[in-house]
Amino acid sequence: MLKRLLYVVGSLGLLIGMWGLYDRFVYGHMNANYGSYVVWGLWVALYMFFAGVATGGFMLATLDLLFELPLFRGSGRMALWGSLVTLPAGLAAIGLDLGHMTRIWKVYLQPNFGAVMAQLVWGYTIFLIIIIVSLWLSFRPQPSRWLKPIMVVGLVLAIFLSGGIGALLGVNQNRVSWHVSNLPAQFPVFNLTSGVALMLIAIGWFGPVHDPRRSQQLHVLGLGLVVLLLVKGYYLWTDVSQALYQNSSHGAEAINLVLFGPYGWAFWLLQIGLGMLLPLIVLTTPIRNNGFAAGLMGVCVLLGLAVARANIIFPALSLPELRGLGEAFHGPHLSFTYSPSLMEWAVTAGIVGAATIGFVIGADRLPLFSRPVKSAGAAD
Amino acid sequence: MSRQPTIPLTPVSRRGLLGALVAGAGALAAASVQASIPAATGKSNESIDVLTPEEALAAYEAEIARLRAANINGTPVDLLERMRTDLLRALTKPVNERRWVMVIDLRACVGCHGCTIACVAENKLPPGVVYRPVLEEEIGRYPNVSRRFIPRPCMQCDNPPCTSVCPVSATYTNEHGVVAVDYEQCIGCRACIAACPYGARTFDFGYTYTANTTTSGVMFGAEQAVSYEQVSTFEYGKLHARHDAHDSPVGNVRKCHFCMHRVLNGELPACVTTCIGRATFFGDANDPESLVSELIAKPNVMRLKEELGTEPRVYYLQ
Ligand code: SF4
Ligand code: SF4
Repeated sequence: MLKRLLYVVGSLGLLIGMWGLYDRFVYGHMNANYGSYVVWGLWVALYMFFAGVATGGFMLATLDLLFELPLFRGSGRMALWGSLVTLPAGLAAIGLDLGHMTRIWKVYLQPNFGAVMAQLVWGYTIFLIIIIVSLWLSFRPQPSRWLKPIMVVGLVLAIFLSGGIGALLGVNQNRVSWHVSNLPAQFPVFNLTSGVALMLIAIGWFGPVHDPRRSQQLHVLGLGLVVLLLVKGYYLWTDVSQALYQNSSHGAEAINLVLFGPYGWAFWLLQIGLGMLLPLIVLTTPIRNNGFAAGLMGVCVLLGLAVARANIIFPALSLPELRGLGEAFHGPHLSFTYSPSLMEWAVTAGIVGAATIGFVIGADRLPLFSRPVKSAGAAD
Repeated sequence: MSRQPTIPLTPVSRRGLLGALVAGAGALAAASVQASIPAATGKSNESIDVLTPEEALAAYEAEIARLRAANINGTPVDLLERMRTDLLRALTKPVNERRWVMVIDLRACVGCHGCTIACVAENKLPPGVVYRPVLEEEIGRYPNVSRRFIPRPCMQCDNPPCTSVCPVSATYTNEHGVVAVDYEQCIGCRACIAACPYGARTFDFGYTYTANTTTSGVMFGAEQAVSYEQVSTFEYGKLHARHDAHDSPVGNVRKCHFCMHRVLNGELPACVTTCIGRATFFGDANDPESLVSELIAKPNVMRLKEELGTEPRVYYLQ
């Protein structure tokens, strides 16, 4: 039932996405609401989110395929599959955001490796190859001696690429709320959190119900997620308290926008309420052993993380670099306020829909949990 | 370069200058017009000509002779004329010995936004693209209120945070010390916009004032207007026609470039020539005789956000 629902929701997203893509390709960026001041919008947030899930998923795959923890044996492929469907989703989002997508080859053939963005493009490409190769090796009937070394390289890359996203923002010393040295340090934790949330969904909703380790897995993942959410909450506290202490800097303005700006409700309701508090409550009670509830909490955490990505990007860009810049000249896309356009939402729906369908197809049709095809998932 | 300029500039009167202007458009105008007209009809991405040091020297000497001839009673030359001769003198030097800077006198700016529009016209900027907005600031409380106008071109930072973040080196400091954008190389990722502390870069979303707008069908003279919008600019010394809604410079980041295509042809940047308040100055800071060198040695000089270490080449007098 749940799988069917996800197929329907995913297909609907894809359908809406078709229209969005049509608009994007025919009219370029005209119907987007990001502009020359808020230069990065929903798609960049989406890229950071999906790239985070992909690296986090890989980190979780190492529990099985590298560290061989008995509790997680057999879950590595599913985690890798999660990475495999989310990374292209992230790359599609960032690709569509480019003014000249067809010139992407220049980043490969004429890169400026000093630029974090070039490092990320190369890094994520290598990472994608590593995901594919390790997934392929994990499917081989005979265990491959190459699998572990590849997982080691992938794990190191996953950590650095996670930090790289923080660095992409953090190197901009003009954006006070980004230019904090611990931003690159925070991102691997955020991404690990998304990886654990992904696995909660995978095992909670699609894991083999008769596997005696399943409830133990959910238990450990749930507690892991609780710890990560607490660390994440602590990071948030340090960011907010440091910025607001003097309440005078650009950083404080950005934080004020997050907390009390026009999208303050998204912060309090989605990022904190749904994305942190609810999972904290549910995952510390026995309900966490219920597959459906655990998966649902995974979805909530992912939703909170997606909102958090947006809250890192938009407010920092919504503050004029110079006082009066927003009023000095008027024209399309010259605004310091941003809310995604219909076209941006449509494309986002398409990308999320495609990733959802890809994920469910894997869980539904591929022997990702090394189980007989007949042993249906919990949700069915 | 064969010869150095030998004739120092002597002050002339405004009245004398007017006569001289009519009489002697001379070598300078001829050289620059010659340089740009054939290029304007050429195809996209072709380079335009610039003055050679020899041509610059000839133009400089002609200009000095003209100004001398026009000198009636020794009153100071108009600042624009002084800057033009400074400019020509700089062009006789090797490229790496020039240091182009801009000085903006905040006390003289009247907030007319003329420079903004001159820049739009010179570079045929589409809607949503702006290189030099004039920021307005209100100071004090009633009844002690004043207003300040801050024109904001690209600072052409000596230490630009916008270039290192470019994944394909499409934006870089060129040999003239100007931070340039290679439209054919830029992938439109906008990382450089996020990195600029001055908001000096805007993205070309592909808008036009007339073509493909809802009213263009009923607009009188729409055809001419459309063709005007599609005429090439000379930015970075190249032709960039904006014919295609999906091709460069659409989808690229754009910014002020100190009108280098004009400067290298012996003309001051468009914003400098249009400024009715004589509030914007341009020239070679490596030349101790130049007007800008004098101005940036004043105690009331400042640069925006100096604490960031960007080393802007735009100075403000306050
Ligand atoms: S003002 Fe901005 S765009 Fe211009 S050089 Fe400096 S950082 Fe780059
Ligand atoms: S928008 Fe163009 S110039 Fe700016 S960083 Fe990206 S590729 Fe470079």
